[in-house]
Amino acid sequence: MMNKPQEPLIAEETLVQELKTQNTQAKAFEVLVSTYKERLYWQIRGIVLNHDDADDVLQNTFIKIYKNIDGFKGDSQLFSWMYRIATNEALSFIKQRAKIQGLNDVDYQEKLVANLQSDVYFEGDEIQLKLQKAIATLPEKQKLVFNMKYFQELKYEQISEILETSVGGLKASYHLAVKKVEQFLKED
Amino acid sequence: MNNKNKHPFKTPEGYFDSFQDKLMAQLSDDHVAIPKDNAFKVPDNYFENFNEKLTKKLSEDTKVIPLFPIKKVIAIAASVAAIALVFFGYQWNNVEDVNFSDLANTDIEAYFENTEFDLTSYEIAEVLPFTDAEYSNMLSLPIDNENILDYLSDNINDFEELNLQENE
Repeated sequence: MMNKPQEPLIAEETLVQELKTQNTQAKAFEVLVSTYKERLYWQIRGIVLNHDDADDVLQNTFIKIYKNIDGFKGDSQLFSWMYRIATNEALSFIKQRAKIQGLNDVDYQEKLVANLQSDVYFEGDEIQLKLQKAIATLPEKQKLVFNMKYFQELKYEQISEILETSVGGLKASYHLAVKKVEQFLKED
Repeated sequence: MNNKNKHPFKTPEGYFDSFQDKLMAQLSDDHVAIPKDNAFKVPDNYFENFNEKLTKKLSEDTKVIPLFPIKKVIAIAASVAAIALVFFGYQWNNVEDVNFSDLANTDIEAYFENTEFDLTSYEIAEVLPFTDAEYSNMLSLPIDNENILDYLSDNINDFEELNLQENE
């Protein structure tokens, strides 16, 4: 639903060099943001669900990327590294919110989904809402894998690099997630 | 393999002819279509305006204090010192120790909001018990409308549960 298969769209090595060089940094960062903002947005939105929260987290993600680009070693692809930062930022955001409201993760997830009904930026029908409820019941890892594989159509190898988990483990998680979601949708 | 003639079992008439259809029907019953459309929307022009918004936030976030020529710094420092001396000299006997109540509420709120605690609100309540005086003080203090609206917007479900109209 959200994006087509993810391939690095730009010559990453050159871009990283430009990002680390002071006089090319601003321009390179602009290119980086323009290229990846939508992909990272949908990754974050899939976790926090609400647009305003996704916007906050997306900005913080890019600020973190900007400040930490010197620490990027090139062990993984730049876009995997950014996805990892975005994912971690979004997960810490919802954990912090849950804690502030004195809710555990599961209750907070349920609340997020319940809020979708009145969210002006959610135009889903009943089945879409039920799907979000189903996803909310999944354990964190399965939820991430489901969103990344089913909606964003990332390859297992890419998800593996982002989440630092084996491809075999991811396949098992995805399979379980799909079964649970299907089962949930079948129930009345 | 001429099994037909070797075992005594029979199948209902047309069983194998209809087997495939029955199986496919079963499979489609079992398979629930998971919707793949994107129900999540973004405000108009959100992505178009994002770079600009981010650049602004980034410049606020990484604002660098400009360096002044050293003479100018000394001159400013001297004036500040002179003013401070006069001011604190005058206030010398009135200076009080800084204590908890001097912290701005917003600073305290920001600290709690931005710091990860491994404590639930119940656990915090256990180590910070209300005294009777504080409790009555809290009840008698007027609450800003803004705070009420913030609370309701964060806890809208609870608000709906009140079911005000039906209980009227």
